Amino acid sequence: MQDIEKLSTDLLETISTSDRPRDILKLPELKAAYSAIRDIPESDRGSYGRLVNEMRLKLESAVAIRESELEVSSIEPIDVTAPWDKNTGPISLLPAQNGTKHPLSVELRNVVDIFTRMGFEAIESRQLDDDEHMFATLNFPENHPARDGYDTFRTEEGFIPPAHTSTMQNRILKAGKSKLESGGQIAAISYGRVFRNEDVDSTHEHTFYQCEGVFVSDGATLGQMLGTLRSFFETYYGQQLSIKTQPGYFPFTEPSLEFLIEKPAVLGGKPGEWLEMLGCGMIHPNVLIAAGIDPKLYRGFAWGGGIERLVMLKYGIDDLRYFESGKLQFLRKFL
Amino acid sequence: MIISVNWLKKFTDIDLSIDELSTLIGARLVEIESVVDLGAKYKDVLIVRVENASKLEDSDHLNVVMIDDGGATTNIERDESGFIQVICGAQNISTGQYVAWLPPHSIVPNTYSKGEPFILESRKLRGYMSNGMIASAKELDLFDEHEGILVLDENLNAGSSFAEVYELNDYLLDIENKSLTHRPDCFSIIGFAREVAAISNKAFQTPDWLMNASPEFCSDSSMNVEPVVIIDDPELSSRYQAVVLSGADSSKKSPIKTQTYLARVGVRPINAVVDVTNYLMMLTGQPLHAFDYDKLVSVGDGKAEIHVRSGKDRETLELLDGRTIELDSSDVVISNGNTAIGLAGAMGGENTAIDDNTKNIIIESATFNLYNLRATQMRHGIFSEAITRFTKGQPASLTAPVLSDAVRLMKEWAGADCISGVIEDYPKQQSIIDIKFSVNEINGILGSAFSLDEITNTLINVEFSVDKLDDFNLSVKAPYWRADIHIVEDIAEEIGRLNGFDNINSVLPKRYFTAVRPNPFDDFKENLRSILARAGANEVLTYSFLHGDIIKKACQNIGNSYKITNSISPSLQYYRQSLTPSLLDLVHMNIKNSYNEFAIFEINKTHSKNRGLNNEGVPVELNKMALVYSNKDLMQGSSYYKVKNTIEYIFNVIGFKAEYVPIVEEDNIDVLPFEVRRAAVIKSALSGKVVGVIGEYKKSVIRGFKLSEYTAGFEIDNELLFNEVAGEVLKYSAISRYPSTERDICFKVGSKINYDSIIKSLNKYDSVDDMTFSISPIDIYSNNDSTKNITIRIKMNSSSHTLTNEEINLYINGFANQVESEVGAVVI
Repeated sequence: MQDIEKLSTDLLETISTSDRPRDILKLPELKAAYSAIRDIPESDRGSYGRLVNEMRLKLESAVAIRESELEVSSIEPIDVTAPWDKNTGPISLLPAQNGTKHPLSVELRNVVDIFTRMGFEAIESRQLDDDEHMFATLNFPENHPARDGYDTFRTEEGFIPPAHTSTMQNRILKAGKSKLESGGQIAAISYGRVFRNEDVDSTHEHTFYQCEGVFVSDGATLGQMLGTLRSFFETYYGQQLSIKTQPGYFPFTEPSLEFLIEKPAVLGGKPGEWLEMLGCGMIHPNVLIAAGIDPKLYRGFAWGGGIERLVMLKYGIDDLRYFESGKLQFLRKFL
Repeated sequence: MIISVNWLKKFTDIDLSIDELSTLIGARLVEIESVVDLGAKYKDVLIVRVENASKLEDSDHLNVVMIDDGGATTNIERDESGFIQVICGAQNISTGQYVAWLPPHSIVPNTYSKGEPFILESRKLRGYMSNGMIASAKELDLFDEHEGILVLDENLNAGSSFAEVYELNDYLLDIENKSLTHRPDCFSIIGFAREVAAISNKAFQTPDWLMNASPEFCSDSSMNVEPVVIIDDPELSSRYQAVVLSGADSSKKSPIKTQTYLARVGVRPINAVVDVTNYLMMLTGQPLHAFDYDKLVSVGDGKAEIHVRSGKDRETLELLDGRTIELDSSDVVISNGNTAIGLAGAMGGENTAIDDNTKNIIIESATFNLYNLRATQMRHGIFSEAITRFTKGQPASLTAPVLSDAVRLMKEWAGADCISGVIEDYPKQQSIIDIKFSVNEINGILGSAFSLDEITNTLINVEFSVDKLDDFNLSVKAPYWRADIHIVEDIAEEIGRLNGFDNINSVLPKRYFTAVRPNPFDDFKENLRSILARAGANEVLTYSFLHGDIIKKACQNIGNSYKITNSISPSLQYYRQSLTPSLLDLVHMNIKNSYNEFAIFEINKTHSKNRGLNNEGVPVELNKMALVYSNKDLMQGSSYYKVKNTIEYIFNVIGFKAEYVPIVEEDNIDVLPFEVRRAAVIKSALSGKVVGVIGEYKKSVIRGFKLSEYTAGFEIDNELLFNEVAGEVLKYSAISRYPSTERDICFKVGSKINYDSIIKSLNKYDSVDDMTFSISPIDIYSNNDSTKNITIRIKMNSSSHTLTNEEINLYINGFANQVESEVGAVVI
């Protein structure tokens, strides 16, 4: 048994200076020590076995430590302030003709740009929020069945990856309150990434982009909402469009509508083909109250729709999964 | 939800084509996902009379059946009486029955919409000609019924159309439920029919029995045990009614036509007792539940004291479907005495289930708190037709008329007699509120021009009671089934919707000319995207959620990631703390797809617990930009410089002056995946603030993500960077009219001396005002471990004159001396 302790000490020392420490675990002396257990009297086998095992563990961790030492010492520090490494020369950028922006970023920018020109301020939406903003201030009481439609994720702390960009609505209304009360209007959009607990396939994603709009004034009407949305889509598609609506239900608007446009000619649309573009409605008085705005004096409308849809229609992309795939085959199609 | 158009027609005239109808419903009531022409698959099915059925010799189950089709079928073999022979395997066939016959060349209905429809023919079975087939309920695509063929009602006309007799020349509308979440009344045929009438500008008349708020039940009770109902907490249930019936025959079936109506809207017919409850639920939206009354009394030790109460801690209940669930205080429980007998609104208990021996039943008609029921639904995973309706909030006034009609149908279909009066607790009376509003308010919300009369008529069509207060003001009471109507906006929705939102003029709101300033931070990020694309990089967008393994592989502390409790899969379980791990995870895949050299970048948000919460109490969000460059081939020197060159390009465009400082500690940027010896933090040369990190990755990161050796990247906090450059204006200096001169100086320095120390020293050189110098690197050379030679080009220009050789030498010597004395370099 003393042999084992001696062997252990010797090998540990060898390992600490070895350049190839892992080889030491394969030495014949070690194998012999393991197989010697057969020749040990039964009464001593237990304690011998323990010793051998302890030795093995010690050696293995010593090897791991030595390996990482070797790895670190093989890493040569560089002069991080230099323009290039020694004995090399000036560095060029990658060819500009391969560079691309993501089609969703481009389209989002396009959408935000049109709304900005129409007079809407743009605010990027949060990507992690709370129940208060996602539901409570939007007239969704706890356990309201309408929450079912949103399939929200939750974190351990109870935070919510927002399922709609309306998670910014209360903030927008609060921020615009003073402007409204001094005779102005609230006109803002929030845009960004939203999340739903959905299995992914070619037409479903758990992560996607939305753009939401909010307008509040002392005389906002549903007719103005239809006009605003029509105007946006006519600018976006560069042509006159027919629009129609379907009754919908969202707790934060009353009345609530789905907004459709007749498929534009640029998308190869034929008369009678309709595209469901977004949900919209007159802001529910409770939502205004939650932001401290008096619904007797002010009214508003709001809408929200997806961005992926616009991009897919524009380019004829048939699978949502490409967007977040990070595949260069896909990304470099948008040169 | 499936709506049968024929069922609607029993309550309102529909004179529109199916296309017109579905367009109108789509525009004014609810989105229709699809319309199914039910009649198409029954067009050839005939009702025939079984004239003779006899066992086929040599077969233990086949029958030779002669049927009378009333001569309706042509080109078919008939016997001398004109009957047609069919070989049939059903055990329940017998002479005199009326059955559904599928003639040769017809398609078996349950294969109608399948890829390969089964087309029948006349063919020999065991030597006997069999023409077409006699159909079971399953083959007719009605419902799963294993007891042989479907036996129809008696005394029909042989040869008549099955579809016509059973009203299967029908269209089924598949309704998108979500947009009716607030409309419990529309989860019923009568409610839906009311809307269809109103959107086609017709007044609707709800059947009298459904309008009768206090119907009569039998008054004389003849029972041993008198039941009572106690609602323990009026918040859980505002009304609970029940009646006891005796003599229900559970072997009885409901009428075949009723069965076909239930089947076409997706409810399987069971027996008359169950069918009564389901039929009334589909018709009115009010779910009913029947308990075995004798079992109920027995679990209550001889008493029938029905309570509606909350679930108790550690209380369990075995449900009808065999599951035993654990209850909690948000569940609403029906109990007799202390013993739970049902999960309210969701499912009955096994201990009071109706079976073949049931003699007496007690029928519940009640309303429950929709929020509690939704919690129950989610926790126990119960998604029945009943709970779907309850969670929309059925009104308390509905329970009585429906219970009364249930008593009538139980007698008619199942032969049951009512043996009790109605037993009831109704602690919270449904209140109907008055809504007063002006015509201007409605038109103000909608931007419309409806007259008082138009508004009045629209509301009367859907059975609101309307009082005209004066020429401009109305007072309105919604009917009891419209508990969703509370405020004037709700009325505006009705007016707009029923008359068609599409008839409202769309106009633009007026606004001032004041220009809106694009969000400067958005513009900044867009600028970064453009610059990076010009630098040949490709923008990616990757998920905000990661697998824990990726976070670990990037050497980050997983405890800092917000964890999703209900993630779809382990690969989407954690919020990312930085963008770099997501990008590293894409490198190997793209190399495998034959991209040898590329740079991918992302501009997005990250979240880490160690950043804490903001003043709103929600996690701080960081706006980041990360890039990873990869070359499959090993190049000379460190990949660090490749990336540094890219970021310097960005910094030059946006006007940011950076310093690269070896990583010493964890700054306010996530340096964990980076190899400290071959990476740097990026600081603002002006403010000294750290804005990012750049470098090669740790060996373990390279192994973990299967990266090529020549890989490097950076990650920047865009907000910090933005703050550094916001308001920066490009500094312009006039172009000199005099020629410039270039001279190179080569410094020999110790290998530990930074390039930057030479540049800084050169920059400190003081000279006269009219001189401009620009300094650029030419060469860094080393052939040993202790020294290196750094060659710098200095370009000189005076704005006042052409420089003389003497002047040039003076400046060059000045530069050289400065560096020699400050850095200890030797000019060679």
